[in-house]
Amino acid sequence: MKNILVLALSLALAPAICFAGGPPAAVQAGIESKDYKWNAQEGEKIEALKLKGNPKEGKEGYEVCGACHLPSGAGRPDGTFPQLAGQHTTVLIKQMADIRAGLRDNPTMYPFAKELTDAQELAHVASYIESLCIPVDHGKYEGPDAEKQIVDGKAMYEKECIECHKANGEGVKEKFYPVLAGQHYKYLLRQMTEIRDGKRRNANPDMVAIIKKYDNSQLVAISAYQASLSMPGSMCKASAATKPSKKK
Amino acid sequence: MNTKMFFVAALVALTSNVAKADGATLYAEKTCIACHGKEGKKPLTAAYPKIAGQNAAYLEQQMLDIQSGARANGSSAAMKGVMHLVSATEIKELAQYLSKLK
Repeated sequence: MKNILVLALSLALAPAICFAGGPPAAVQAGIESKDYKWNAQEGEKIEALKLKGNPKEGKEGYEVCGACHLPSGAGRPDGTFPQLAGQHTTVLIKQMADIRAGLRDNPTMYPFAKELTDAQELAHVASYIESLCIPVDHGKYEGPDAEKQIVDGKAMYEKECIECHKANGEGVKEKFYPVLAGQHYKYLLRQMTEIRDGKRRNANPDMVAIIKKYDNSQLVAISAYQASLSMPGSMCKASAATKPSKKK
Repeated sequence: MNTKMFFVAALVALTSNVAKADGATLYAEKTCIACHGKEGKKPLTAAYPKIAGQNAAYLEQQMLDIQSGARANGSSAAMKGVMHLVSATEIKELAQYLSKLK
């Protein structure tokens, strides 16, 4: 019954949203709602997931993403924009669909997610991003106590995070668990904090249940450790990453 | 006295030099280009403004207001997410650069 009401309401509101022509985004019930089902397999997401992506065909479509996430996919070490290179296509497609559907709130990203509407193009771009090597000069925990933070973080990570995110931060492609290796420390910390506090409304309830008990300083240590992870065979060569390649 | 004057002059020259080179570079590096398009002429959506040739004083004030949160209407939430990337000096430089585009 409630679902029908929500549907009717969203249908009634749809024209208003369309005519606005831009943000703010539509909002869909997420983790705050009782009826929330994580990673519901429906809509355009399924379509893009089923289609085969070709990295070569996705390169051009990625150009618009590169303005913020950089051509290398590295994002910004200050964590404003996440590192994307090497991320699983499943994760990329899910996050794009969630942002577009108003399930993950991100006003800056929203209009871009809204532009990329073609499922085949989405599949191509995602496979292009996945094919990129993971830059190694990302943002890490910087502080005199970095060593201790990483050791403390490792202990916690190996206790509860490792089962899903794996020993080197590889995640699990089929399960939509993201790659963490090479991600910026500040981005990791912000996402974990937001997932714990219910602000990332497309979060996995299983993760929320686990992360709930960690305080801020523990999340700092876990992020510090995650940002130190490295996936053998997937990382860019250090020499290529440190070369001042972009001088305009 | 003379040395002090020299340092002040050198500092002014240095900062203005750095700032001068930066307009177009800042526009790309601070991700303005992602939404407002090449040279501020091709916004991503019709909801975003063309900013090439806009008055520098107006541009500067809008950027400062969106950064501080004083302006929070329209699509400004999308821009607020990147405004921590620029300083007041860089905002001034961007405003100058954009105002001179035709």
